[in-house]
Amino acid sequence: MAKTPICRTLNGIGLLAVSLVLAAAFFEQLVHGDIPCPLCILQRAGFAGVALGLALNLRCGPRPSHYGIAILSALIGGSISARQVLLHIAPGDAGYGGTLLGLHLYSWALLLFFVIVAGCAFLLLFDRQFDEAGAPQSRLPALGLAVLALAALLVLGNGISTVLECGGGLCPDNPVDYQLLR
Amino acid sequence: MMSLPFFGLFAAFCLAWAERRAAAVALWAASMLALLLLFRSHATDSLALSF
Repeated sequence: MAKTPICRTLNGIGLLAVSLVLAAAFFEQLVHGDIPCPLCILQRAGFAGVALGLALNLRCGPRPSHYGIAILSALIGGSISARQVLLHIAPGDAGYGGTLLGLHLYSWALLLFFVIVAGCAFLLLFDRQFDEAGAPQSRLPALGLAVLALAALLVLGNGISTVLECGGGLCPDNPVDYQLLR
Repeated sequence: MMSLPFFGLFAAFCLAWAERRAAAVALWAASMLALLLLFRSHATDSLALSF
């Protein structure tokens, strides 16, 4: 059996972690009825962009540009999270949606985007992963393909959910139901 | 309209699966541009301050 490079394994774990974040957001939405606000939806798209960078590392081999995709996506997503934190930081404002361990989901998102940037910067320190750039990649194990498929399906699911919630236009600031399911 | 980044990124995932890297990266860039434009339309929401 071919040995799986450690950086590919770490990228796979990272992709699984980001997929779990998207799945947890879906769980909140579908089970607890926490309909995502426009900024929440955009933060999910930021996570999806991060997932794509890690998926490219898995499928096409590690490249600095793939880490760049993940970092830039995390910076955009983090900016959106920070904006939402600032929107609700006023005294007496209860914030939007439910909380997890005392923090709103957009506050968790801001922390996670920071962790993603730090994690990608850490992985970029391992230069040897790029030595074989351009060389034929060993086949991605079935587990890696499954994680990649899970991430892709979660991104598609978010797209469909957003269409149901907002139709073809912009989402309302405080959504209470799904526009296409009325 | 707000679903555009997701569908763009899903298409990029499909291209990544097919190992068409350059096309996947191009779709990612377009999706992030759409995301930034959508953020611009929501980032200027007024703060709900009440003193």
